[in-house]
Amino acid sequence: MASIRLSRRKIAAYIADELIAGRNATRQLAAYLVETKRTREVILVVRDIESALAERGVLVADVAASRDLTPEAKQTIADFLRQTTGAQDVHMRPHVDSDLLGGVRIDTPGQRLDQTVRHRLNQLTASKI
Amino acid sequence: MAELQIADLSKELKDAIQALDVSGDIESVGIVTRVGDGVVWVYGLRDAGYSEVLQIESDEGIVEAFALNLNEDEIGAVLLGSDESVIAGAKVTLKGTVLDVPIGPELLGRVVDPLGNPLDGGPAITTKQRGLVEREAIGVLGRKPVHEPMMTGVMAIDGMFPIGRGQRELIIGDRQTGKTAIAIDTMINQGRQKTGVVNIYVAIGQKLSKIARLVERLKEEGVMDQTIIVATGPSDPASLLYLAPYAATAMGEYFRDNKEHALIIYDDLTKHAVAYRQMSLLLRRPPGREAFPGDVFYLHSRLLERSAKLSDKLGAGSLTALPIIETQAGDISAYIPTNVISITDGQIFMEADLFNQGIRPAISAGLSVSRVGGAAQTKAVKSVGGGLKLGLSQFRELASFAQFGSDLDEATKHQIERGQRLTELLKQQQYTPMGVWEQVASIWAVNTGSFDKVAVSKIGEAKTALLTRLWTDNKKDMQELNKGDLKVTPEEKVAKLIEKTAKAVAKGFEE
Repeated sequence: MASIRLSRRKIAAYIADELIAGRNATRQLAAYLVETKRTREVILVVRDIESALAERGVLVADVAASRDLTPEAKQTIADFLRQTTGAQDVHMRPHVDSDLLGGVRIDTPGQRLDQTVRHRLNQLTASKI
Repeated sequence: MAELQIADLSKELKDAIQALDVSGDIESVGIVTRVGDGVVWVYGLRDAGYSEVLQIESDEGIVEAFALNLNEDEIGAVLLGSDESVIAGAKVTLKGTVLDVPIGPELLGRVVDPLGNPLDGGPAITTKQRGLVEREAIGVLGRKPVHEPMMTGVMAIDGMFPIGRGQRELIIGDRQTGKTAIAIDTMINQGRQKTGVVNIYVAIGQKLSKIARLVERLKEEGVMDQTIIVATGPSDPASLLYLAPYAATAMGEYFRDNKEHALIIYDDLTKHAVAYRQMSLLLRRPPGREAFPGDVFYLHSRLLERSAKLSDKLGAGSLTALPIIETQAGDISAYIPTNVISITDGQIFMEADLFNQGIRPAISAGLSVSRVGGAAQTKAVKSVGGGLKLGLSQFRELASFAQFGSDLDEATKHQIERGQRLTELLKQQQYTPMGVWEQVASIWAVNTGSFDKVAVSKIGEAKTALLTRLWTDNKKDMQELNKGDLKVTPEEKVAKLIEKTAKAVAKGFEE
């Protein structure tokens, strides 16, 4: 029997609850996506799970900088994120992108804070046009 | 060295974070998941509103779109530009506004696209105000019954189906039956009669050559200065065709809300419905009758409801709408025509048969109607045009009967002969709108039987001769008549004058 097609948001809410409860539902999710032929949506599902986790106080943030971040810098960013989003638990995925030239870019589910030199230069170019 | 770099970085970061204006710099972002056929699907942006503008980053700068489908998992948006530079994975942000366009007197005399960008090669348009493309129509208490005439200059319309300021009168008919011609004549008449009414012409998917010809003509007639043309061509994206009438209405509302009078012509709403159907199908909305979406009635009703006559409290301005609908083989019972007929306050039906017989404007007396214009008809025209519609309808019916036999009683013969003369009288060349006095004099001449002995083929010439003589010999009386306040009765001096002159003129054109 074919499974009911659920919206990504509903799937994400279920998985987020399972993760917070300490149960690993990855295999269950994978099986569902395969059965409903929705494996192409896997990236979007992961993003939705991150959104659902953020709504539950667990924030996953991608932090990009032009150089490696020091532990002190990471701590500063984590504090900043806790303060601005109200999250109790912040998980950071730092990565280096030399194209950014300087500064930092923080991507949280559905939101972006871009304080990089590259972004500023782009804004400057756009305003001159 | 390495330590110094790290220290620098740490300082750089701290400074950056301290300098953050958090509320201003954190932005909602989404990403493009799919794009094609002018439609883009966006992941994220859960706080986007209906009709809100999205900004998509591309190699060629920012491309704008507006959100139409707010689904649980994604947003369906329609691009306002080309989709060639938009790629899957592109960053999307919210502009924070719904669609708006420049409005104001600065637009007069200009040809613009639905976003207010100039298309006439003129300088950039800078206006003091912007108006919302989608705006709720004025409420009941803000309105007033239609009572002032909106003279089209077309005798058949002003005499039989008068239009009032704030009315919505549909012009409907097959292709090539003179629908646009009536609309253009109405615009020209506003200039000739110096009514001060602002014209707004909305070309929806019209050939650009046709628009160029129209602009030239309006310039020749000296009406372009009080006209705004909102133009979209056949190669424009469906989104622009969809937006054009709403944007133009926003421009018209400026004049309406500032105690002025405006006339808006939607040429034509059939193409508008087709553009909306294309967008809706691409957005995967369920198709209904003729594959149009379920809300195609609302598409036009919310547009036309914005044309209104405002109450005195709101300044008594008005926005009159002349939407145009193209029918197929004269079928007015198709989906879109019946929708718009039910929305508007009457319709002028153009018949292909009449057009091919050389009766132009090819207005069908039987199928046309003006539901509210009677109250707005000029007193002078009303006094002479009372039996015009009935007489013409009866004539058309009798004329078809008369084809079967030649033995007709005197009364029927007389009615047919009068009808033939009336039909000839109502023929009018394009770009020659008539003033009130011209219409009154012409109709009165036929009503009094002054032209009964004039050969049917010479009615046009007799009419011209009558008008020329009246204007030459009695200019003051005609100017007074042109004000429209005079009720023409057989006892009136001016009525006697017209009858006398008509009889004298008729002698030169008798059979």
